[in-house]
Amino acid sequence: MYYLRFYLFFCSAPCVYLLKEGNGEQEPCFFLKGLQPSLYVELSHKGFHRDVVTTVELGSDTPADVRALLVYRWPRDVYVDPYQVASLSHQRGWQMLFNTAIDLEKPAHRTSEFSTYVYPSHVGPTPEPLKVTIPIHGRYHKPSFDGKTFTPVHIELPELLLWTKKCTPFQRLEPHTVLDAPCTASNTSICSWVKIQHPNKNSVPMSLHLPVGDGSTVRLICTGTLVVTLICCVVLCHSMLKHPLR
Amino acid sequence: HYSTRWWMMERLLSALTEKRVLFPVSFVVRLALVVYGDYQDRNMVVKYTDIDYHVFTDAARFITEGQSPYNRSTYRYTPLLAWLLTPNIYLTVVFGKLLFIVCDVLSGLLIYKLLCLRGVGCQTARYVSSLWLLNPLPMGVSSRGNAESILSALVLGTLLCMEGKRLTWAAALYGLSVHMKIYPVTYALPIALSLRSSHTETNGTTQSWTWRTPVAFVGSFLNSKLILFASVAGGVFFTLTALFYYMYGWVFLHETYFYHLTRRDIRHNFSPYFYMLYLTADSRWSQALGLAAFLPQLILLLVSSWTFHPDLAFTCFLHTAVFVSFNKVCTSQYFMWYLSLLPLVIPHLTLSVKQGLGLLLLWFAGQAVWLAPAYFLEFECYNTFFLIWLAGLFFLVINSFILVQLIAHYRSRKSLERQKAE
Repeated sequence: MYYLRFYLFFCSAPCVYLLKEGNGEQEPCFFLKGLQPSLYVELSHKGFHRDVVTTVELGSDTPADVRALLVYRWPRDVYVDPYQVASLSHQRGWQMLFNTAIDLEKPAHRTSEFSTYVYPSHVGPTPEPLKVTIPIHGRYHKPSFDGKTFTPVHIELPELLLWTKKCTPFQRLEPHTVLDAPCTASNTSICSWVKIQHPNKNSVPMSLHLPVGDGSTVRLICTGTLVVTLICCVVLCHSMLKHPLR
Repeated sequence: HYSTRWWMMERLLSALTEKRVLFPVSFVVRLALVVYGDYQDRNMVVKYTDIDYHVFTDAARFITEGQSPYNRSTYRYTPLLAWLLTPNIYLTVVFGKLLFIVCDVLSGLLIYKLLCLRGVGCQTARYVSSLWLLNPLPMGVSSRGNAESILSALVLGTLLCMEGKRLTWAAALYGLSVHMKIYPVTYALPIALSLRSSHTETNGTTQSWTWRTPVAFVGSFLNSKLILFASVAGGVFFTLTALFYYMYGWVFLHETYFYHLTRRDIRHNFSPYFYMLYLTADSRWSQALGLAAFLPQLILLLVSSWTFHPDLAFTCFLHTAVFVSFNKVCTSQYFMWYLSLLPLVIPHLTLSVKQGLGLLLLWFAGQAVWLAPAYFLEFECYNTFFLIWLAGLFFLVINSFILVQLIAHYRSRKSLERQKAE
């Protein structure tokens, strides 16, 4: 009798322990499954040099070891300066990885789109939302021949990817999908990340307008430039020959 | 009471421009700016240090890791500069700035020595060199980390050696300066004209034009002095080029030389050709227009070399001013190239102080008229391309006017002494 009770006790203790562990494992995954983060992006400044400010709110029950990754896909009309970013990243608390080398000087029609992976340093759990500010610069565009003085540039909203150790390997996390991406900005290994589907985004798509040259005035510009430079050249030659060294 | 104040100001100016005081003071002020620049970089959003300095430092870092400095994108200078700045990585990051301010003060010293050698009185020479040494523009440029002062020291050193008839040193410094930046290659023509045999000059005007005249003209270039200069300068230049080509390959040639020769920067800059080149960048007229833009530069360089080559300092100043004003790309750094030669020209000008200051103000006004629409384009997103184009042409007209005034009021030393005697 005693042995039976003892045996049952010993059986149930590990079972209770396992159940508890199971709950602990599933909690972060429940967190991810039920996550509805909000993602706001806005552009600040005017002109060719702007800041893209992304604010992400994950919620107050974020586990401590959650890592976030923001994937931006940039159009060819803008660029991010890797050297500027490298000098800023320790101040701003995030690291950036580029998927290609960036030419800082080419006009827009001679370059292509690129992506950047942004790794914020601290994600949770903090009551403050995550804020990432990325400086971008506009490229020069081909002059317009239809009288338009500005060209529109549309910037896509970033994708939010999350990773937490306790939930790996990721299973049954619909509607979110699982993606492979570099683990950190040093790009030494690939991890599986959860792409959070449909976060509450700002409804207005991000766009800016960059000035372009007016191609229809090309004849006036060329004539004017060549005439003025020729006149200045002739005047200077005349003055040099009229006032030789005395 | 009024004259006492003027007397005190004169005494102060004279004390400040004493040799013992002037050079140390100018060095200390530049050093203070470097220290302030470090403070501003750490604590404020707008940085004091120029982006170019970070480019140099990154390239020097690549060299310390055994790689090519051209791995740093937008590094378009000689590898020698990155090698010179490797102490930025080993010692302190401000080493480069210290080197640049030393070269800046050295340029001031070379200006002083050159003026004394050209027969300007020592006190006038000190006043004029203080125009460079106590000038906030070169102070700012060097302390921000631009390497222009190295080149101005080399060019002034070449002119000083030429004036002092030390041809080998002049040729070596000239070869080095052409290696560092390509624009001093334009000085080859006036240097060659000034070194050729002088007997043809006295006969040139009276002799009739026979078939012997062009032969004699070409023959006058083949004398020992010119051949010595050409071989030493060419030797220095080609040795350095061969060494760095062996180390870094084709990318060295492209970034240091070919890029600058074929550079078509369509982004806004002071050049009068900027908008024309932007609008025609992809059209079939692009090459022809580029050539048309090169012709005024070439013609002016040839004419100024021929008419002023006996006075090498003035010719080099005119060359550089014309080259920069009529170039397809012009940024404010380029102004340093001819500003370092301006103090050599000033004692020979018959302009009054008022006229001189008026021309200076006009030059600044021309820049301000360009900077306003450029600011609105870049930072406020207005479409001011047409205004920038007009401002660029206006700046060219102002530069031409100033140069015409300088040419019209320039007198050689003999003529000034004759005037003083009369």
